[in-house]
Amino acid sequence: MSYFTVKYLFFFLPAVILVYGIMPKKIKPLVLLVASYLFFFWISKKLIFFLILSSLSIYFSSLGMRRIDRITKEKVEGMEKEEKKRIKQKGKKKKQILLLLTILFNFSFLFYFKYLNFFASIGNALFDIFHADFSIRLVKHLAPIGISFYTLQAISYVVDVYHEKIEAESNLFKMLLYLSFFPTIMEGPIASYPEVKDSLYEGTRLSYHNLCFGLQRIIFGLFKKCIIADRLNIFVKLTFDHILQYSGITLAFGAIFYTILLYMEFSGTMDVVIGSAEIFGIKLPENFRQPFFSKNISEFWSRWHITLGNWLKNYVFYPVSFSQPVKKISSFFKKKFNHRVSALVMGAIALFAVWSLNGLWHGAGWQFVFFGYYHFTLLMLGNIFEPWISLGCEKFSIHRKANWYHALQIGKTCLLVFIGELFFRANTLSDGFLMLQRIFTHFDLQQFQTEFFHLGLDGKDYLILLIALGVVFLISFLKERGVSIREKISLKTISLRWIIYYALIMSVILFGAYGPGYEPVEPIYADF
Amino acid sequence: MEKLVEILEELQPEVDYETCDNLVDGRYLDSLTILSLVSEIEDTFDVQIPTVEIIPSNFNSAKKIWELIERLQEEE
Repeated sequence: MSYFTVKYLFFFLPAVILVYGIMPKKIKPLVLLVASYLFFFWISKKLIFFLILSSLSIYFSSLGMRRIDRITKEKVEGMEKEEKKRIKQKGKKKKQILLLLTILFNFSFLFYFKYLNFFASIGNALFDIFHADFSIRLVKHLAPIGISFYTLQAISYVVDVYHEKIEAESNLFKMLLYLSFFPTIMEGPIASYPEVKDSLYEGTRLSYHNLCFGLQRIIFGLFKKCIIADRLNIFVKLTFDHILQYSGITLAFGAIFYTILLYMEFSGTMDVVIGSAEIFGIKLPENFRQPFFSKNISEFWSRWHITLGNWLKNYVFYPVSFSQPVKKISSFFKKKFNHRVSALVMGAIALFAVWSLNGLWHGAGWQFVFFGYYHFTLLMLGNIFEPWISLGCEKFSIHRKANWYHALQIGKTCLLVFIGELFFRANTLSDGFLMLQRIFTHFDLQQFQTEFFHLGLDGKDYLILLIALGVVFLISFLKERGVSIREKISLKTISLRWIIYYALIMSVILFGAYGPGYEPVEPIYADF
Repeated sequence: MEKLVEILEELQPEVDYETCDNLVDGRYLDSLTILSLVSEIEDTFDVQIPTVEIIPSNFNSAKKIWELIERLQEEE
């Protein structure tokens, strides 16, 4: 069941709203917990066992850490400074062991379900090379839904408790709900505990405002998914599955359309997710901030899948940057060169770790690994050449804040993103290279003209796409300028407000890509 | 505080550290500059900045960074 199914939108969600609405305030969070477990069980059946195990592991481990902290504090009271330091160090060691075990325990499930086959096939390839008469049997299995998302939330929680950034939660039900909340379980956003804890357990009463704002957001998500993403799906599928059949221009459109499809599908899902939570008065972190207005790749990643980027920054980038070995390396470079070179080296090591994990997180395949290192390379090149670009602009009196310069930067960033997403979507890494090569070597305008209207889309489809993309662009553009369309609409008269909502609903019903000739996009991020 | 502003000016000279209160959110300090800044602070003020403290709210202004340094010095 995806968030875009009739089952979810017309049965599950309304049923939860109804039960939530009639229950007393204290019971409301419990309703959400029961609904979340039902939702999970509906999709993953007995694999719910692994979600429970993860929740219990972080619950007990965080309580264990709290206990160690308490005992240590009691012990050091009135002690001399040196003795205090020694006892604190001892307590820290115990906590470290507990933290490490919890992280390993949680990652072991993720590894088993997601990466075992990938690494086993690498092992088998190596055995083949060395003619070893041995091979690891590959096992086909389904993973618990959202394991890549809830595992990261679980890790963020224990690490934050370890650093005493947050208090360990003593209420088990709260912990169970934090990891399983049904709107976020399939595709995130990866919310840190402090981001959601207040609103998640508040049991906020249903209100007309929250209901309207939540539904508004859900309908906008449907608009992006059903009108744009689903319409582009056939074109994308055909081009990526039959690379040799199409002209270079068609393949380039395939890559651009895939990037649009991915954005509309994922950000559309986030609209449904955040809108669903909003109905219950729960505020979730945003995952997108107009990414296609980014001036460079670094900015792009601070606007696209924001919660994953934040997770990697907080739990990989900084810890790796300031780990003892990296600090030693950076101080060597600082002595030999200067602080910029030292920061570049420090950043390179940490970014390498971040992008290795980012690539693999998206899937166990070489195309994802390549995708990660592609962006790592772009970020490093950006960091290395920034001083020269700045110097060049100064020399040629180029005003870097000029609109035309921004437009060029945005164009360059989009182009680099399209290439990255081409590899991301390619069936295999070699397919990705083949497609990129043919974009440049098979430039056949005549073939393109005949193909373009025979890839599942006709003139009417392109017109609908153009208008729908125009609407999304306009809303994004205004948001970029600090104008919130939602707030603006809410200030209009009730009749005008409902005309807008009605138009949006009707456009989804009338222009959504349903029926023969179309194929809805499967939830892409739910597979990661 | 003066020493801190000196470090900041050396790393990113194009900012008025008296008034700017969105150093991270406004992208005046990118992640590489933050790496340099943290190393410089640790060396100069003899403090250890835990990674959990490297959050925008602690680095958005010179004043906030100084408050962080003072807090960490007290805790040590």
